[in-house]
Amino acid sequence: MDSEAETLFSLVKGKYGDKIASDELEEVRKAVEKIVESSMELREFELGNWDEPFSVFKPSRSEGE
Amino acid sequence: MNPVYTPLRELSRGVRSGEVSPVELAETFLERLETHGPSLNALVTLTRERAMKQAKRAEEEIKEGKIRGPLHGIPWGGKDLLATAGIPTTWGAAPFRDQVFESDATVVAKLDDAGAVLSAKLAMIELAGGMGYRQPNASFTGPCATPWSPGHWSGGSSSGSGAAVGAGLVPFAVGSETWGSILSPANNCGVAGLRPTYGRVSRRGAMALSWTLDKLGPLCLTADGCGMVLEAIAGHDPGDRSTSKRLYRYVLKRDGLRVAVPKGATEGVVEPVKRNFDNAMRVVEGFADVEEIEWPEFPYEAVTRTILNAEAAAAFDEFTERGLARGLTAPECRYGPYARTAVLAVDYLKALRLRERMARIAEDVMAGYDAVAAPSRATTVPRIDEEFRKSTPGTARDTMGALGNGAGLPAVSVPNGFDDEGLPTGIQFMGRAYGENRVLSVAVEYQCRTGWHRVHPERFTP
Repeated sequence: MDSEAETLFSLVKGKYGDKIASDELEEVRKAVEKIVESSMELREFELGNWDEPFSVFKPSRSEGE
Repeated sequence: MNPVYTPLRELSRGVRSGEVSPVELAETFLERLETHGPSLNALVTLTRERAMKQAKRAEEEIKEGKIRGPLHGIPWGGKDLLATAGIPTTWGAAPFRDQVFESDATVVAKLDDAGAVLSAKLAMIELAGGMGYRQPNASFTGPCATPWSPGHWSGGSSSGSGAAVGAGLVPFAVGSETWGSILSPANNCGVAGLRPTYGRVSRRGAMALSWTLDKLGPLCLTADGCGMVLEAIAGHDPGDRSTSKRLYRYVLKRDGLRVAVPKGATEGVVEPVKRNFDNAMRVVEGFADVEEIEWPEFPYEAVTRTILNAEAAAAFDEFTERGLARGLTAPECRYGPYARTAVLAVDYLKALRLRERMARIAEDVMAGYDAVAAPSRATTVPRIDEEFRKSTPGTARDTMGALGNGAGLPAVSVPNGFDDEGLPTGIQFMGRAYGENRVLSVAVEYQCRTGWHRVHPERFTP
């Protein structure tokens, strides 16, 4: 397990450890590793500073107000 | 006319002409739901009282010549994540089995206005699969079977929606898809399922798994039926800001159809699925120009998976914090949500930024084509009593699912044959944003030239 996955797993364990059975912790560790793997794939793809998230927040107000 | 397994258009004609009574229709399908629904684990709640009231009103209106539209008097079933006033909406999960809302989801209200008759709330994978299920037994109503075999899975997460249509328990159903949840049951149950463009159908009153990925859509015996239902449920809703103001009318394109097949579409796909896909494409070549395209290298699955993980973790944050996941059915769903809280905000935003790029790739590659064709699923139907990785191991990437759902694109799955065990396989046609009519045109023409949608499981055929 790389250090990022280890750190994130420690965070999850610290926050939710009381809700996770000891025999389930290994599965949670594997799931965290997969999440980090996906993140690594994303990070390899270079974007420009101007590349915005797809969902742009649009302020709105109700009619007549 | 025997209404069971009668395609929606024909059934609608029978109702409007007076040949078929809405009350008799409701009684027929309620009886079938009651008799067969439990054996498939497809039924959560039979909505008999509401159905009979709606059917009687439809019958009176039709007699008076007040026709609301093609769905008037037609029974239907809704995935049990659609809110229904005064009727439990369980989200397929034991912790929510007694949950009751005060108002109907917009989709339910729209179908009410269209005169359709809500007959059942249908089974689903708990929380629409958002906790990371790995087996069919992930619903408090039990694993849902495909009507084609009690030992095989219906698909999910719109499990009951697929099984009920496939077993002739309702003429149509409404399901939802975040990533695969309409196309998978359509494939496994041998029916047609349409995933509309994101924002085409209001999600108000539907359980949220992923706010930017969830879509509601119909499952029917035919692609033509899906178009009829979509016309009734599509439209802008002030209660769901994602909904489009584009009007939708179901109109088919008859000539000049162009279909693309992605390079490597059958790589890693199991043999019966590949064989049926190749045969289906020979049929498509008879009415459309078919060309090969290539998806460029891109982290399609990582983008959509990261968005799904982060949004599902946030949508069920309170549920997770309160430790309610312990009440879920599948063991892996009891701890599944915790790992998802590990997605970093910067990675979620990177995925949203890459989504823009992904949508542009789809637009560029699919420009000029009415649909992109691929097998609906890479594997045959999984067994009902085993983990997916054991019963249907596979190596195929789901680029179409990741790209289609990540970019919010429409797709329809229709049956294209059977495997060596007599279980259905499917072909999907995916289109550009708001291109439902194009993908339906290809699917309807394909169904006009094939008979797979007219073959039904023997034990449910009256």
